[in-house]
Amino acid sequence: MASPIITLTSSDGVDISVDRTVAERSVLIKNMLEDLGDSGEAIPIPNVNEAVLKKVIEWCDHHKNDPPTAGDDDDTRRKTTDIDEWDQKFMQVDQEMLFEVILAANYLDIKALLDVGCKTVANMIKGKSPEEIRKTFNIQNDFTPEEEDQIRRENEWAEDR
Amino acid sequence: MLQSLECLPDEILHSILILSFPTDAAALQQTSRRFGQVTSEPLLWRHYCRHHYRFWDSKHNIVQKLASQVSFVDWKALYTARHRVHQSVCRLLDGILACQTGRIEKFRAVIDLGYDAKDTLLWHSQVTTGEDHLARRYYAQALLTCLHRSIAIPEWAKLRRGEPVSYERAMGAFDLFILQSGFGDLNEVQDTLDRVLSQFIASHGTSEARTPRETALLLASWLRDMNFTGIESGLEYHALEHNFLGLAIKSPGHNSLPLISAVIYCYFAQKIGLNARPCGFPFHVHVIISPPLGLDMDGKSTPGKVPGSPMYIDPFRGARETPISDLRDQLNFLGTPDTEQDVFLGPLEVSETVIRCSKNILNSIHSLTRPGGQSASVDVLGAKYAALWSIMLLAGETRAMELRHQLPCLMELFATEFPSDIFLVEKYIAPLFQGLFEHEHILESLHVMRAVDEIPKQVRKRSGEKKHIRFKVGQVFQHRRYFYRAIITGWDSECDAGEQWMRRMGIDRLQAGRHQSFYHVLAEDRSMRYVAEENIELIFPKLDDLPQDLIMVAGKHFKRWDAASGTFVSNMRDEYPDD
Repeated sequence: MASPIITLTSSDGVDISVDRTVAERSVLIKNMLEDLGDSGEAIPIPNVNEAVLKKVIEWCDHHKNDPPTAGDDDDTRRKTTDIDEWDQKFMQVDQEMLFEVILAANYLDIKALLDVGCKTVANMIKGKSPEEIRKTFNIQNDFTPEEEDQIRRENEWAEDR
Repeated sequence: MLQSLECLPDEILHSILILSFPTDAAALQQTSRRFGQVTSEPLLWRHYCRHHYRFWDSKHNIVQKLASQVSFVDWKALYTARHRVHQSVCRLLDGILACQTGRIEKFRAVIDLGYDAKDTLLWHSQVTTGEDHLARRYYAQALLTCLHRSIAIPEWAKLRRGEPVSYERAMGAFDLFILQSGFGDLNEVQDTLDRVLSQFIASHGTSEARTPRETALLLASWLRDMNFTGIESGLEYHALEHNFLGLAIKSPGHNSLPLISAVIYCYFAQKIGLNARPCGFPFHVHVIISPPLGLDMDGKSTPGKVPGSPMYIDPFRGARETPISDLRDQLNFLGTPDTEQDVFLGPLEVSETVIRCSKNILNSIHSLTRPGGQSASVDVLGAKYAALWSIMLLAGETRAMELRHQLPCLMELFATEFPSDIFLVEKYIAPLFQGLFEHEHILESLHVMRAVDEIPKQVRKRSGEKKHIRFKVGQVFQHRRYFYRAIITGWDSECDAGEQWMRRMGIDRLQAGRHQSFYHVLAEDRSMRYVAEENIELIFPKLDDLPQDLIMVAGKHFKRWDAASGTFVSNMRDEYPDD
């Protein structure tokens, strides 16, 4: 039996049709659907705009047949920063989209996607000096020179890898 | 609004940091105040401590720290301290690999870092790639077992000084000599025993409602049913692996000799309130269980505070009480005089238990060399070394002859296989012979080892008359007459051994006699030999064709295998720069 189609409404008012099983990768949407029953109403997603929502649905569609993740099992999930190839390609977007997707995954409660997003950011930080990290993420250095000097000394141990 | 890293809420940043390396968190901490604050979270550093380091020196009281409130511990400082140890171990190991000179002091420095060094040594001992991975694996493993021995040996030394040491700690010390047991710390052995104990308590409760005799038999039958005592039928009784307490508890088959079965039984029995100890019956250790004061084994009070009679049990065979009359009959049969029978029927002291285990181990090793003997699944040299050490420390003054007899074996094994133990030999073996003529010998050989270690190797270039030396360090050959395989580890342009050796070996009967090149070689039985050029038939095997043992020990001299040339890559370029 084909999965029924449901409609999501993005924050900028665009209706998007999607397979129910795909949308149910989001725990938030799954719970809302259960509450609403089969009314066929569009579900508002007030925190996510059309472009981001489409991107998130693309991910959910690709992963619709994944086995459910084993909840919050830190040890197995967080051991590695390896990302599968499709997900790596999927995450090759500009930083703004990357952070939007992470926030959306967090809001929509899609653990596996949030995890991929976090791993992507962790890999972007990996092995960089503080100055390189500032450059990569456009971070303003708001330390006073004294503070900066102190915090640098506190972390000298980490420089010699 | 444009999204950026700074827009992410703290909990998402925390998720990212948990996936990052601690060194990356330290870098992020220095970028701005916001990230400085997020990365200072003690929970994060507690996470890093737990997930990056598994083995902690007892000085950290890590279990207690993990159980206390997060804010009571400076987790970042703790992580930083461990990271520094990790860096020191890596640097020292790199130094050991880089040069054959000055290794002893570096070994010592690693061991001085204590059990904190273990995680790093474990990582290095498992590397499978890298330009010097064979050497790295060899020396990391040598240091790892040395670290374990530096925990085991002081336990026996304590026992020697008359300080109290429990049966399970004294016996667990043997496990620390063999890598296959997976134990590196005596607490780990106890923890494993305790996990089994909790299974017993969960299924049978504690013993209040039962008499001591009932409890004793119940425990014996439970241990037998759970397979924790005895040896599965059909297995070789004297197999070397049946001599180790930790291995018996941990391995799936749990097979153990009567001595080990008795120690296992006594550990649990004592924990559930029985006064149980191994009994030194000849050939087959039993367990002796004495009733509490004023009671007998059936829980009835004894008249006039006379101690109740003990019961004997043989946990190796199961839940059957052995009547004392049977034991006396056997002693009579052996011709033991009545006056000595009480000794054999009394409890075995901890140090006697250790010595008995050592003898069993040496026996097992001896039976391996008999025709038809099975091969051992545990490290034979490590087991032998453990037995010799414990005999040295615990055989006692009355057996000075035995000490003298075993000393050369121990010293040879130490010098060839475990030279990183030099400081242990200095500290624990040398003083045993104070005042005896062996003392000077020991000090002299230790002095020579240090001197050899400190003096840079004489450089052996292939120039002048040395150009005609045909074979190179790292080449693999088969002996033309004895057919064993070996790796060349060094050469001389002509036979450099003593006159006596040359005569004994009949060197002058060789076609080219003593004036041909001779090679130092590492043979597939791990022995070092000295071979004439005419007996060398080079072979170019695939790595898989060589015995695993040989590949492992090749790391002592070689960096890696080179598949293209079918040779080992030398790690002795400071000595043989042209090979």
